[in-house]
Amino acid sequence: MTDEMADGPGYAIADDGSFTAPLNLAYPYSRTVGPIYGAFLTGLANHKVGATVSADGTVFVPPAEFHASTGERLDNWVDVANEGEVVSWSWEADPDDSQPLNRPFAWVLVRLDGADTAMLHALDVTDTSSVRTGMRVRVRWAADAEPGIHAIACFEPVEIAGGGPS
Amino acid sequence: MSIAGLVREAADRALADAGMTMDDIDAVVIGKAPDMLEGVMMPELWLAEALAAAGKPVFRVHTAGSVGGSTAIVAAQHVMSGVHKRVLTVAFEKQSDGNAMWALSVPVPFGMPVHAGAGGYFAPHVRAYIRRSEAPGYIGAMVAVKDRTNACANPFAHLHEPDWTLEAAMESPMLWDPIRFVETCPSSDGAAALVIAAEDVADSLPGPKAWIRATAMRSEPTMFAGRNQVNPQAGQDCAADLWRKAGIADPRREVDVAEIYVPFSWFEPMWLENLGFAGRNEGWRLVEDGVTDLRGGSLPINPSGGVLSSNPIGASGMIRFGEAAMQVMGTAGEHQVDGARTAVGHAYGGGSQFFAMWVVGAEKP
Repeated sequence: MTDEMADGPGYAIADDGSFTAPLNLAYPYSRTVGPIYGAFLTGLANHKVGATVSADGTVFVPPAEFHASTGERLDNWVDVANEGEVVSWSWEADPDDSQPLNRPFAWVLVRLDGADTAMLHALDVTDTSSVRTGMRVRVRWAADAEPGIHAIACFEPVEIAGGGPS
Repeated sequence: MSIAGLVREAADRALADAGMTMDDIDAVVIGKAPDMLEGVMMPELWLAEALAAAGKPVFRVHTAGSVGGSTAIVAAQHVMSGVHKRVLTVAFEKQSDGNAMWALSVPVPFGMPVHAGAGGYFAPHVRAYIRRSEAPGYIGAMVAVKDRTNACANPFAHLHEPDWTLEAAMESPMLWDPIRFVETCPSSDGAAALVIAAEDVADSLPGPKAWIRATAMRSEPTMFAGRNQVNPQAGQDCAADLWRKAGIADPRREVDVAEIYVPFSWFEPMWLENLGFAGRNEGWRLVEDGVTDLRGGSLPINPSGGVLSSNPIGASGMIRFGEAAMQVMGTAGEHQVDGARTAVGHAYGGGSQFFAMWVVGAEKP
């Protein structure tokens, strides 16, 4: 092994004599999401949560483009509330930079009022004693809401008059 | 449009053409080129919902760029085996969601670099073909002008460029010597779908149908000592098997039209030889003599405009197979070859290592 052999991009000879090279995989993916997800993500920037409704009356949030069981094409559109109920949750003790909050928080499945399905997002609470299935939560909009799921900064507990977080 | 919407649109049209709904379909076979082209892993699981296939068998096929053809063949085998009567098969690619050229060119350290996507990979094969066959340099441009002109008769082709001349094509910028810009397929979004049915089901349906006379698939490794990348053995073997199964002794005379996978124009003469339509080093003469022209040629190649005019990679092979079927059904519209009774669909993929082919006919075999 000579230094001349180590002439590729980032190639190097380690102290133990092994030949090393970096391999950094990165692909610039982008999505065109179509009329249904597109309308949902755009609506969020205007503080509206859109849903699709199937023939059997099921209200899907996030909106489904096709009914998972029947394949029905879903284009009947309604708006639902920006407040709802926690269906399930999991604690995030050590968030990384890509996550909605930079401090410990709860991942929650929220069923918004008027919806039959639940959506995943972050709930801003300080510890596990502050989150429970069935609690009421509402959307906290991002300060400068761009179209996209990050238009919802996170969810927050709904304060009940005369009490603490429900 | 979403990937799900794209696939569903193709499926709906195929079902409508067959006079069926998803309720009639026993199983679904899905194909696309490598998942990293869009960055969606195993999309067939999620697409089952868009295809109303929940609860039905769904099968995924992976054979790189040949996958559209392989997928149609696997679907046909689902029926030929006697297990299913009516199979929906769908293939797609949504190149706008990713960057296929670079997804195909990962610079793995210490390995032979592919460099510059498929064109960079295949250009040396084309140069070798030109050297071996002593083909004139304008043959590639002739194919490009033909395919781009044919595409203008096909409403589903993505490029409609009616004004190409041989002179203009020869002036087109060189991308990967000797492959010019006009001799290169576009990056496309698209989907194709077919319904493949058992003989008794087909007999009960009104309207024209394409009868599958033979199918064949072969593959070989990308690299091995002595490999003939210009005229791969796997392709030769695949074609020989196809002709034998179809009972075709002289494909040049017995086949009326072929849709073959030509992403770079020089692959038309190369595959004409690999398929046995022309002798070794003679494929370019069929191009030069106009044999492969849609109007006036005795063996029109790619009347649809081919991969050179639309390249949703995963779907491109199935489009070839479906176009062959439309030709023998007489439903190809403005790009119909008069009197087509026997047609070939062909696809290749990877580093010219996967091959899939079928012969369809207007008459029941």
